[in-house]
Amino acid sequence: MNVRGKIAEITVEFHMLDLATLVLTLIWGAAIGCIYVLLATGLNLIFGVMKLVNFAHGELLMIGAYVGYSILTLTGVNAYIAVFLSMAIVALIGVAVERLAFRRVLGSDKLNEIFVSLGLILIFDNIAVLVWGEKSKRIISPFENMSLTLGEISISYDWLIAVIFVIVILIALMFLIKKTKIGMAMRATSQKSQAAKLMGINIEHIYIFTFALGAALAGAAGVLYGIIFNFNPYIGALPTIKAFAIIILGGLGSIPGAIIGGLLYGIAEQTAVITLGGIWRNAVAFSVLIIVLVLRPKGLFGEKGE
Amino acid sequence: MFTKEIILRRIQSTKFYILIAVIAISTVIPLVAGDPFLIHVLTLMALFTIYASSWNLLASSGQGSLGHAAFLGIGGFVSSLLAINLGIPPIIGIFMGSVFSAGIGFLIGLTCVRLKAWFLAMVTFGFSVIAETLVSQFDDVTHGILGFRTPLLVPSGLSFYYFAVLLATLSVIVIYFIMKSKIGLTFRAIHQNESESKMIGINTAKYKLYAFVISTFFAGLAGGLYAHFLRYINVTVFAADNSFTPLMMSVIGGLGTIEGPIIGSIIIVAIESYLPIMDNLLDPVLGSLFPEVSFVGPYLRFLGLGVFLVVVVIFLPKGVSSLIPKIHNYFRAETKKANNIERK
Repeated sequence: MNVRGKIAEITVEFHMLDLATLVLTLIWGAAIGCIYVLLATGLNLIFGVMKLVNFAHGELLMIGAYVGYSILTLTGVNAYIAVFLSMAIVALIGVAVERLAFRRVLGSDKLNEIFVSLGLILIFDNIAVLVWGEKSKRIISPFENMSLTLGEISISYDWLIAVIFVIVILIALMFLIKKTKIGMAMRATSQKSQAAKLMGINIEHIYIFTFALGAALAGAAGVLYGIIFNFNPYIGALPTIKAFAIIILGGLGSIPGAIIGGLLYGIAEQTAVITLGGIWRNAVAFSVLIIVLVLRPKGLFGEKGE
Repeated sequence: MFTKEIILRRIQSTKFYILIAVIAISTVIPLVAGDPFLIHVLTLMALFTIYASSWNLLASSGQGSLGHAAFLGIGGFVSSLLAINLGIPPIIGIFMGSVFSAGIGFLIGLTCVRLKAWFLAMVTFGFSVIAETLVSQFDDVTHGILGFRTPLLVPSGLSFYYFAVLLATLSVIVIYFIMKSKIGLTFRAIHQNESESKMIGINTAKYKLYAFVISTFFAGLAGGLYAHFLRYINVTVFAADNSFTPLMMSVIGGLGTIEGPIIGSIIIVAIESYLPIMDNLLDPVLGSLFPEVSFVGPYLRFLGLGVFLVVVVIFLPKGVSSLIPKIHNYFRAETKKANNIERK
């Protein structure tokens, strides 16, 4: 079941302009948006606490997809259990990245973070090619080719499960941030790291934890992405940019903003693909990004943004 | 702005002698070793010197662009299309291409000057993707998807090489004077602390826009030269690789210095041109370790470049060019020590 094929089918149907297509566009847009929401939330968390922008965040998604793929081929577990294993492994990779690379440029020139990210993109891309090859792969889910049919609309189970997964993960994250001690420490560090330090919070540990958490979200997004789309070692860059577009839509540092932004963005992208053609899929991200930045540099919902 | 005195002082500086030496060496090398591949590589070095210097000028004002390939591509496409459709000689066309590129740079700059570093990086990157999409979309005008053969600028080989060196030298000199002037000082002030620059009365938006326009002009110039050098252009010129290359060159060479992009482009072009020769040796040794890929060489090279970039940023923030004064001082200290021992 190829997504591109499905989209082509829809493009044909769209000219008939029926309601079912419109509903499907909205649902697919929302489902695609959900995966980007995970990535955007991870970026937002890391930015909020560490004031660091990780341009290589999409590479963690790519690595997450491959880790999920390897777990599946090596152990044969259910693809949706692989999501959790992949989260754990990508979190560890995140810790390594934070300790070895970003920690050392934190607080220096902002451009240095961009340069380190670019180096990391090169490193991750080419490690992935060397280990897993250049051919595109897909994670086979247990619900392959199954879909829920409601009248004229049929929705693949994988899309629905992806949406449910994202909702569960986001609720768990909200709980972690609002109700637990470490979440409180993260919020304190985010507000004023020096004061948090004086209150006895080990901000180094908070940084590691935050980065690992952001990486874990990217890992989860990666496996879900791999179930729905084909992936290759070079898919990382575009999701990063889309996540950025979402963050800008929703306002920097705001998690509810990222969720609304993600859904809006997914729907906008899907609508553009159907009305303008697949060639516009990626240009939409940037058009949204640039238009929003021109009209409202702080994002649609952002108040305190940078 | 440039009084005679200032120009004289510049001429007497060490950098000026180094510049003369570099020009002299680059003029003599092809005469000594006339290998066509070497000339090809040297021409690429000259081209990328212009391109990386233009990126570096923009970065010196604190604006790190991730989409400079857009301007490289615009310069190349405008110059080649003008030559093919209107018969404008490429030697004029490359400058028209740069002016057009600077015009687009001005428009993009209007948005970008208000943005923080990471948003700017994203927007410029996005602009290169939009440019790529537009060129593919209007294929009947641009012929971008399949590409086309570009007309001859100057005869290829040695004469193109000298032309490229001439333009590279002129560009570097112009960028040098800009960076040493009051404008360049303002760029550095904005880079160090934008809000404080604003407080002392600098119109930061205006100066950042200057940086954008000047930088995209030279990027367009490099693009025109590049298109006529390869004798072929298509939409892949907008690829992200082309946006990252000038960044890597400037950062590895030394960000914000005049010699950084030159050293960086020599290093990177040399790596990309001469290391593939080793691929055949590398493959039998490492090929069995990575069964998924047929040729390990290119990937290992890019991996190495990534590690190189990260290591330089972390351990050598001022780039490879910052090693030169260190080595110089070290030898001076050594000779002094030796002299002291002799005296005793």
